[in-house]
Amino acid sequence: MLGGVLAFVAVAFTLTIGMLNFLNFTIPALFMLAGMVTWALSVSGPHFLGFGWHWAWAAVAGIVVAVLASLLIERFTYRYMKPRFGDATEHALPLVSSLGFLIVFEHLAMALWGGDPQRFELPYKSTNWYVGELIFGVPHLISLGLAVSLVAVLSGILKRTRLGRALRAIAENPNTSTLMGVEVQQIVPLVFVIAGLLSALAGILYAASYGTVTPFMGDSIATDAIAAMVLGGLGNIWGAIAGGLLVGLVKVLAISAFGAEIEKIPVWGLLLLILVVRPAGLFGHTPIGKEKF
Amino acid sequence: MISGYWSGVLGMLAINIVVAYSVFVPAAAGLLNLGSAGFVLLGAYMAGAMTSLFGLPLAAALLLGSLTAGAVAFLISFPILRTRGIYMVLATFAFAEVVAGVLLNIPALGGAAGLSVMAYAGLPVLIPSAVAVVVAVAWLMRTRFGLSVRALHDDESVAGLFGVHLRLTQVMAFTVGGAIGGLGGGLLVHQFNFIDVQSTGALFSIYVLLYVLMGGTQTVWGPLFGATFFTLVPEAFRKLAEISPALKFLEAGRYMIFGIAVVLLMMLRPQGVITRTLVERLSGPAKPASSGRGSA
Amino acid sequence: MKNALSVSDVSKAFGGLTVIDRVSFDVPRGSRTALIGPNGAGKSTLFNLISGVYSVDQGRIVALGQDITKLPLARRIGVGIARSFQNIRLMPHLSTLENVMLGEHHFSPAWQLVSSARASQRARAALQEAGLHDYPGQVVADLPYGVQKRIEVVRALMAKPGLMLLDEPAAGLNSGETHELRALLGRVSASGVTLVVVEHDMPFVKHLCDHVVVLNFGRKIFEGSPQNVRKDAAVLEAYLGSADVMEDARAA
Repeated sequence: MLGGVLAFVAVAFTLTIGMLNFLNFTIPALFMLAGMVTWALSVSGPHFLGFGWHWAWAAVAGIVVAVLASLLIERFTYRYMKPRFGDATEHALPLVSSLGFLIVFEHLAMALWGGDPQRFELPYKSTNWYVGELIFGVPHLISLGLAVSLVAVLSGILKRTRLGRALRAIAENPNTSTLMGVEVQQIVPLVFVIAGLLSALAGILYAASYGTVTPFMGDSIATDAIAAMVLGGLGNIWGAIAGGLLVGLVKVLAISAFGAEIEKIPVWGLLLLILVVRPAGLFGHTPIGKEKF
Repeated sequence: MISGYWSGVLGMLAINIVVAYSVFVPAAAGLLNLGSAGFVLLGAYMAGAMTSLFGLPLAAALLLGSLTAGAVAFLISFPILRTRGIYMVLATFAFAEVVAGVLLNIPALGGAAGLSVMAYAGLPVLIPSAVAVVVAVAWLMRTRFGLSVRALHDDESVAGLFGVHLRLTQVMAFTVGGAIGGLGGGLLVHQFNFIDVQSTGALFSIYVLLYVLMGGTQTVWGPLFGATFFTLVPEAFRKLAEISPALKFLEAGRYMIFGIAVVLLMMLRPQGVITRTLVERLSGPAKPASSGRGSA
Repeated sequence: MKNALSVSDVSKAFGGLTVIDRVSFDVPRGSRTALIGPNGAGKSTLFNLISGVYSVDQGRIVALGQDITKLPLARRIGVGIARSFQNIRLMPHLSTLENVMLGEHHFSPAWQLVSSARASQRARAALQEAGLHDYPGQVVADLPYGVQKRIEVVRALMAKPGLMLLDEPAAGLNSGETHELRALLGRVSASGVTLVVVEHDMPFVKHLCDHVVVLNFGRKIFEGSPQNVRKDAAVLEAYLGSADVMEDARAA
């Protein structure tokens, strides 16, 4: 069970969509960049960045790279959103641009480090707790705990601080918010920083748990995280966690009942159903971003 | 005669062109499809099964593949068209994943190992097919149906006020797109004599949508440009890399240039490279008003 | 059919705000009716209700002999209702001819080629009637405002309507263009089409229209002849401060 890792990425997606009406397909790339940079730096070798640092510093560097990349996206993707009246496909600009960036980053990683999976060993091997028949991986539990506490903090910020109110105002209407004195130009990048941070943490945790990194490691997590986000309701960060747990559960049940190859169908079938019948998700209120991307 | 390498590239170009038009037709009506892989897989597996399991001739198999994909597109369009904007993008994506999931679990079609077929479709099949698709879509967009599509794209409610049937036009556009995608799939499986779910998945759908939007959805020439750029530019980079080992990174990063082009385009020219105004200007200097023949 | 349009006790509210409040009026067949009132009176909303963009909360609308109250938007043009818009709503990425040809879309078969010579001829002729060209090689978004406004009118005409709703067709036109428009509408009316025009340009209304309906705050406050509207107390009160009406009142 990917637990916390999935939750982090799902929250990153849902935060960006809820706050900025932007389905950010670069998030899996940030996830990957953090993981790969951490791996590259921590292992000394002939590859790019093979300096052999201590894993903790490598992780910090990984996070920094992901956050910087996230800010790059903000600058060149989000700021160019120009909604125009009546033309449905033009609202897709940031989404399409983020897809472009996804390709750039994935192939950049491939160019720098090759496409093969790389082994990534942390000094702390995963220890397991055994409860009856179920195995809980300690890193998984830690990441889940981290995810929950992080979301609690985020949720608190959103509800109780001025920053949170400003964020919610921007989510409602960026233009009015500017008129009311909200520093949109300064706050929007903050959302990208948080999303980058979450994706980076997830990527590093993933790499540590599974012991491998590849330039395409973001792809499968992305699809599950998007499913989790929709199930939980776009913009609902607690919903994203619940959605993540639900996705994990559905997958495990499907695999144990029908075998591993069936797993796509229940997850995506459920998603399709929800999108058509109840786009607000299981816990959302209003279908945010109904006309937007 | 064309070398093996170039015939491979041309073949890929032909298929990419067909698939591009499968995304173009709904996109021209304002419907973004991030699940084109779904229709391509449906067409590929159906056509492939027809030739390898039932021994049908290629043409019949291609037709059946296209019709199957079109039928599924027709049926799925009703629920999908209930969604809008980002939800529709996700819904089309989800649909493609469901298709992939279902196909993975049909043992007769090879499951995860994919389907191998013997019948081969070379350039003599691929090129005429691509040309036929371009001509057919160009004709379609010149009819009143095409006008409906483009009117919907620009202004749904006013189009409705002049009698354009919103839902019907969208369903037709989506269905036609699906059928063309199915044809593309049939061609794909018989060009490579193989199809599997892995290689024609989310990334495939993303690439197609990107190069169609890059080319521009205002005119019928946009997807042609997009598919050509996507097929030829990375190959050009690969060839360049062969010139000297110092340029090796060009090969590894050859799709990066595509990604960068997409980002730049969305920033500077989001309507795509080929726009209506560009085509009008290229088709001759401003003609005197009300002279003889039609202008559209 | 005595009236081309009968609006009976129609109301429409958005959220808690009542925008049209039990409005009833008739538009005689073949007339040129002006629908006037201060800004925000609900004139465009009324047009939206008649053309089907909104549905009524209460009341009945009968147009050209048919009860269209519950008729879906896309079917209303088939009844013979066409309209133009206050803010230009042409298809920006289509050419002039294509925009105009959209007018006859509802009675043309789907497979007909838009570039066919006959269709183009008809469109061009209609444009010439309005004093316009076909502006080849350009999309309408590139054309001047006054031209676009009149293309909209031509588009509506191509639909061969029995009832035309024109929302501020003269707004933004210079005096020459306004004169041409008025002449065109006069010819259209003479051919039997009933016109309902929303306008703020009072001289335009005065010279064109033979019947006037006045709205204020979503209610009808006057219905009658152009001569009498200038003297009506309620109308004067609604327009208090409007130079045109005061001037007309003084002149009457």
